[in-house]
Parts: sequence; structure tokens; C-alpha cells
Amino acid sequence: MSAYMTLLTPMTDEACLLAALADLGFDASKVEVHTTPANLVGFTGDRRTETANIVIRQRYVGPASNDIGFRPTPTGYQAIVSDFDHPRFGGAWLSQLNGRYCSHWAAKQERLAAEERRRLEEERARLVEAQRQAVHERAKKMGYRVQETREGETIRLVLVKRTY
Amino acid sequence: MRVNLARTLPRSAANGPGERFVVWVQGCPLACPGCWNADTWAFKRRDLRSVDELTANILATEGIEGVTFTGGEPFTQARALAEVARRVKVAGLSVFVFTGYELEELTSSGQRALLAEADVLVAGRYVEKERATGLAWRGSANQSVHFITDRYGPGDMIGIGEVEFHLARDGSLAVTGFPEAGLVAYDGDE
Repeated sequence: MSAYMTLLTPMTDEACLLAALADLGFDASKVEVHTTPANLVGFTGDRRTETANIVIRQRYVGPASNDIGFRPTPTGYQAIVSDFDHPRFGGAWLSQLNGRYCSHWAAKQERLAAEERRRLEEERARLVEAQRQAVHERAKKMGYRVQETREGETIRLVLVKRTY
Repeated sequence: MRVNLARTLPRSAANGPGERFVVWVQGCPLACPGCWNADTWAFKRRDLRSVDELTANILATEGIEGVTFTGGEPFTQARALAEVARRVKVAGLSVFVFTGYELEELTSSGQRALLAEADVLVAGRYVEKERATGLAWRGSANQSVHFITDRYGPGDMIGIGEVEFHLARDGSLAVTGFPEAGLVAYDGDE
């Protein structure tokens, strides 16, 4: 069968991400927020090469676990979860987190004044553009050419394998 | 007659030749390990539409050359889909069907009725260890393409869209077609 998958909505708002983590049991007492990225630490206390701005230390993740991190990118926060922790904190957990994030994001938008909404709308437009460029870049790297069309507010990107 | 759907996509260029209305049915008894669409396996009520309604949805979509049935397993709802197919063919549209069954397994009268309306059938289980990319319309190398009518032929398998992204205004992405894993890695899975 041909695939149909909905990928996670990009998480761009730090406050909403922290609120979503709190909903899943990682409240402010268990989450570190760094202005400059901090190194993640493995279960043996080893310093990892990965860095993140939002960090859940391994003692809160589980015995023999590693730190979980979130680092900001142009297409939203990227989760860093070790292979060991994937069974508990992989796709299903990230989907749950993303669902909670979307709820907090919607609630936040309702509270905002017009000026702030305008700013968020601009931020959203930048995010869509970043997502669009990310698909183009990934496609190019993997040998596809991209045919782009717009249907209403949806951008459609069809990837065709290059044959040269 | 009604069809139990998982979802529809009014326009896609990665699910058969040309621009197509795509119908993912709900329910599949085969449950191939590694299937992209495990959410469509359960035989539970999801989006019930009458044959009249689904046909009208398809015919109201401008600029498509056909309809594609995928899933889920279309041949578990063969009679209703055969009727949809019959009606859209009268309007000049083509019919493309994905199935996890082999062609010779489609023996019931309902299944033969749907097969009789198909222009192209892509058949066979998804076999994870034979997963391959770059095969037009197929996810694993054991699957086969059958041109049931002469409307399409092997020439239509060249230079086609293999993967398609739909980027919504909130930045969310939906993916359809036959994506390589690297194209759709979740954050943190890369």
C-alpha cells in the first residue's frame, strides 16, 4: 500500500513545550532550560557530544537511561532521545508530547492580543518556509527533484527521483 | 452500500499515474509487518460513506485523471468499491488499485467485480526484508504491477512522483507515496 503519514507539528514555542513536558510528568523541577546549549550526559555519567537547550537529566528518565534533550532548529525543537530510551520515549511518546504541545499552543493563541497574534502569524509563516526549504534540501540530498504547487493554503511538494 | 474509509486525499501525484483522488479504506486482515499504515488495519468504524457520497466526492474534484484505492485492504470492501469504480469510469476516470493479495488470491465474486473495473493492480504482501525504494508504486520487490486494461503501460511508470509532502499552514507535514526512511525521520530518529 502507499503510505499516508502525518508527521509531528513542529514545536517552536518554549513555554508550550515546557508545559507539555509537565503534562507528561516532567515539571519545572525536572527540566533544565539553558540559554546556551548544554551537553547531554549518558547513564554512566559520560558527557555526550549532543547538546540541547532543554534537558531532562537521566535520573528523571529512568534507571540506566540517558539524558533527553530538545534543541531549537529552524523547523522547531528537535528531540534527542538515545536508542536505549526509544522504547519509552520514542515515536509514541513524542506524538503524545506533540498533542499536549498543540493544546497549549491553541490555548496560548486564544489569550493573545492582536499585536502578539500578528507576531505569531509571522513566526508561523517563517516556520512554513523553513519546513518547505527543509523538504527541498533533504530531497536534493537524496537525489530527488521537487515539483511544487500550491492548493489554497497547502503547499504540495512532489518528489521525483532524478534519472541523470 | 457504504465504504468504511480511513481517509481520502483529493489530489495526489504519488499514488498511480497522473493526478488522482486517493481513497484509503479502513480494515486489513493481512497486517504485513513494517506496513506504513498500521492505523488502517483494525476493522472498526472510522469514516463511513455511501457509494453515492464517495462517488460524488471523486467526481467533484477537478483536474484528476483517476481514482486510487489503497488502504487498508480494498478487496475486503470489494463490492462497494467496484460500484464506485464503475461509476467513475463512466465519467472517464481511470481506476488504480493497491492490494496486499496476490492476483490469483482474488477469487470471490466481489473481488472479481472490483478487479474487472481496475485499469492497474499492484498486488502482493509488503515484505519488509524485500523493502526497496525507486520501484514505481511498490514498497517491496516481491510486489507486482498488472496492467489489466491497455489504458496504461510500463511507460507510465517512468519519471513519476514517488513521494509527496503536503505542507499545511500550521507547518505540519503529511507524506504519501513511497518514502525512503531518511525522508520522513521523526526528530530524534535521524
